[in-house]
Amino acid sequence: MMRHAADVPAGSGRPSPNGLVADTSAGLSMRGVTAGYYSHDLVLNNVSLLARPGKVTVLLGPNGSGKSTALRILYGLLRPRSGQVLLDGREITAVPPHRRLALGMALLPQGRSVFPELTVQENLEIGGWLLMRDRRRLSAALEAIYARYPLLKEWRQKQAGSLSGGQQRLVEIGRMMMASPRVILIDEPSVGLAPVIVDQVYEEIARLKEEQRTILLVDQNVRAAVALADYVYTLEYGRNNLEGERGAFEDRLEALIKSWLRF
Amino acid sequence: MLTTISLSLLVQALINGLLLGLVYTLISLGLSLTLGIMGVVNVAHSTLIMLGSYLALELLQRLGLDPIISAVVAVPVFFLIGVLLERLLISRVARTSQTTGLLVLFGVLVVIEGAAILRWTTDTQVLTVSYTNASLTLDGIAIAVPRLIAAVIALALVVLLDTFLRSTLYGKAIRAMAQNRDAARISGIDTDRLSLLVFGLATATAGIGGVVLAMIFPFDPQDHYRWLAWAFLVVVIGGLGSIRNTLLAGLLIGLIETVSSILFPFQYVYFIVYLLLVVALLVRGQGLAGSQSRAL
Amino acid sequence: MSSALLERVATGARWRSWLYRGLGAAAAVGLLALLGVLIPLDWVTTLSSVFMYIMLAEGWNILGGYAGYLNFGMVTFFGVGAYTAGVLCTQYNVHPLLTIPLAGSVATVVALLVGVPALRLRGVYFAILTLIISFLTQVLVTNLGITGGASGIYMPALPFDAFTNEQIFYYAFLFLMVLTVLLAFLIEHARFGYALVAIREDEDPAEILGVRTTWLKTQALLLGACIAGIAGAIYAFHTSYIEPQGTFSLDISIDVVLMSLVGGLGTWQGPVIGVPLMLVTAQVLRILAGELPFLGTALPPEFDRVVFGVILILVALLAPSGVMGLVRRVRGRRLTV
Ligand SMILES: Nc1ncnc2c1ncn2[C@@H]1O[C@H](COP(=O)(O)OP(=O)(O)O)[C@@H](O)[C@H]1O
Ligand SMILES: [Mg+2]
Repeated sequence: MMRHAADVPAGSGRPSPNGLVADTSAGLSMRGVTAGYYSHDLVLNNVSLLARPGKVTVLLGPNGSGKSTALRILYGLLRPRSGQVLLDGREITAVPPHRRLALGMALLPQGRSVFPELTVQENLEIGGWLLMRDRRRLSAALEAIYARYPLLKEWRQKQAGSLSGGQQRLVEIGRMMMASPRVILIDEPSVGLAPVIVDQVYEEIARLKEEQRTILLVDQNVRAAVALADYVYTLEYGRNNLEGERGAFEDRLEALIKSWLRF
Repeated sequence: MLTTISLSLLVQALINGLLLGLVYTLISLGLSLTLGIMGVVNVAHSTLIMLGSYLALELLQRLGLDPIISAVVAVPVFFLIGVLLERLLISRVARTSQTTGLLVLFGVLVVIEGAAILRWTTDTQVLTVSYTNASLTLDGIAIAVPRLIAAVIALALVVLLDTFLRSTLYGKAIRAMAQNRDAARISGIDTDRLSLLVFGLATATAGIGGVVLAMIFPFDPQDHYRWLAWAFLVVVIGGLGSIRNTLLAGLLIGLIETVSSILFPFQYVYFIVYLLLVVALLVRGQGLAGSQSRAL
Repeated sequence: MSSALLERVATGARWRSWLYRGLGAAAAVGLLALLGVLIPLDWVTTLSSVFMYIMLAEGWNILGGYAGYLNFGMVTFFGVGAYTAGVLCTQYNVHPLLTIPLAGSVATVVALLVGVPALRLRGVYFAILTLIISFLTQVLVTNLGITGGASGIYMPALPFDAFTNEQIFYYAFLFLMVLTVLLAFLIEHARFGYALVAIREDEDPAEILGVRTTWLKTQALLLGACIAGIAGAIYAFHTSYIEPQGTFSLDISIDVVLMSLVGGLGTWQGPVIGVPLMLVTAQVLRILAGELPFLGTALPPEFDRVVFGVILILVALLAPSGVMGLVRRVRGRRLTV
């Protein structure tokens, strides 16, 4: 089933503007979020989303529609002007980003985000910052990451900035996984990478899904993202547009992408 | 002119230059740290150095404390001053507007300098302790003991800070924050608190730098701009983000100063320094953009 | 009403409002000119110094206010101007009137020495370099033979009685102040001013859009330096004695920054408001502090400096757009109602 935000009369008072009764007591959600960077314009306008527990939720939309901004809000890097962010029903809108890892959340940001002048191992150690006081758990976590991504062990003494784009992406994933998060936000994971690497990235996301982690994926690579999705939202001009189960989207992908290209 | 300089005088100048260079490295560390890690240019840096000198003076006059001990006392005192400055002023403005940050720090400079004149007048002060005029002589080369002690303290601090930044998890977190602040935040690092630590450390090095300078130079509340010039030159030549490069630049400046001061009258040393500064700025140009350009 | 008519009415109204403003300004200047012969001697002296500071602050504001490149060593150009006049007049017998444009030129050349290395970089480097160069110039002037070293230079006196003398400087500063305020007004409403503001708002896009930022910033610096040099030269003749400590005092740099900030950075009205406001504030503070038992009446000048530093910090933190910012907010509110 797929619904359009405009189908629902305004002010119906339900948690989702689409009128779908979304149960926000589990998973990560935002409710009625309005946000922007400057006082005179809005980037998000009354947006509601829910990343269902253990599922892959995909957020689609043309460039500049506010997808990255939504992730920034969910992770506390930006405060909404109004609206709330909830994790398993608990409000976390004002929890600063450095405390979110401890809540089991993690963010894989858009673009490159390794610490280029630190070694791969040091990058991973920063990912384990929460375990700082416990050397033994830190090295156990490090070993677990090396076991999970053996390539990282090979590169561990290299400067992260000297690696290729795809290799850096793996470092970023490894750094994020140091805290073994339950809820993972991923922003445009395949942009700028070689096709071979892109496949590996989606395989990794599929593995995270198998491990029952809650995933919110923002992507321009619509086909690959929808293939992994359980549930899909689209944003347009900073507002909720369409949403529904994967099945409802698969036949309409073509038309959707075409309409965005007109932007 | 050169012919009149004997070899031993030159060797002595070189040794003196290296010793001074270590001290110059110390007084530049704070400027380099705040600029490289937080993107804050602390124009009040040298007034903190000047306060360090007066701390040594007060402790000597009131309690008879040797400046070596004052250097230790300076650590907590100036760390606290730095933490207060960061919390009360810099954290409020540095991220919003560089202009506002500069204005506030200029205000801090004005207040500290004015208060120092009110408290200590504009008279020139000298620290006199038992070893002030002592020197070690080796093969006709005399090394002033205060310079040696100052250089040893400076070296110890440089090594300590370098080790801290390279090998401890906190040090790595600080470097990570300098390289990508938002990525550090999403990795669980409380960058606001880490900024407090960085500013505290930077201010502590300035304070110790002041104590150490007071062992070898006379001082007054208004000649600190000289140290601002020296420190800025060291930072421009050494670049940001590496203590070892700062050390190399500091040693270079020390050597240039001592060698040129046997060739020219004292006040022309300033010109050489300014000339160097101009050349260094022209050559390094936009390479000094600082760290704050990177973000998610 | 047809839209053409509406437009004509609107332009008429705009034209009329300009006319009123021009008349108001002319009346204010006329009043000041009249005051020169009406008020007592010490008032004439005080007002002269207000005019001089307005000149300096307007000159500073071109680069510091519009473009956001803070010059913490404005006194350098002022002092260089004063010393150029002094040296040329006493050592080379140049006619006093001729030394004034020369002082402006020499200050401009010195500004080039600061601007060329620092203005290609971002503002923080410029700010720190201006502090350093103002200290270096002071050291140089104290140590050179030609400047009379620490003992300074006695300037030749004008052949008039004390009152006429003060009035001459009053009118000289008034005239130059009107010129600089006018210049600032024109810059603010010209492409040059818009480009400088674009640099302050966001330099990278401005550069990408083809604004030649380095050259514009240099022009702004040179213009301000020239004004400061001229002011310095007249100041030298006015005080009749210059020496490095006072003529290159950090206080002058602080005052200029603070007065512009308090009035409102990047507005031509800022200095006109800020200078008298801060001079009055300084007086009031002195009187108030004199009442305090533990401070006594003999306050050293550094007391002002500390207070001004605190004010600088507070204004930068709490009201960074100064009095003009408040005025604009009030006006904006009235328009939207
Ligand atoms: N840091 C920022 N500062 C100001 N505006 C921003 C910032 N980041 C994004 N924007 C603006 O917000 C809008 C949405 O951007 P974004 O969330 O990045 O979109 P998407 O990720 O969907 O491409 C865009 O118009 C963009 O220009
Ligand atoms: Mg995006």
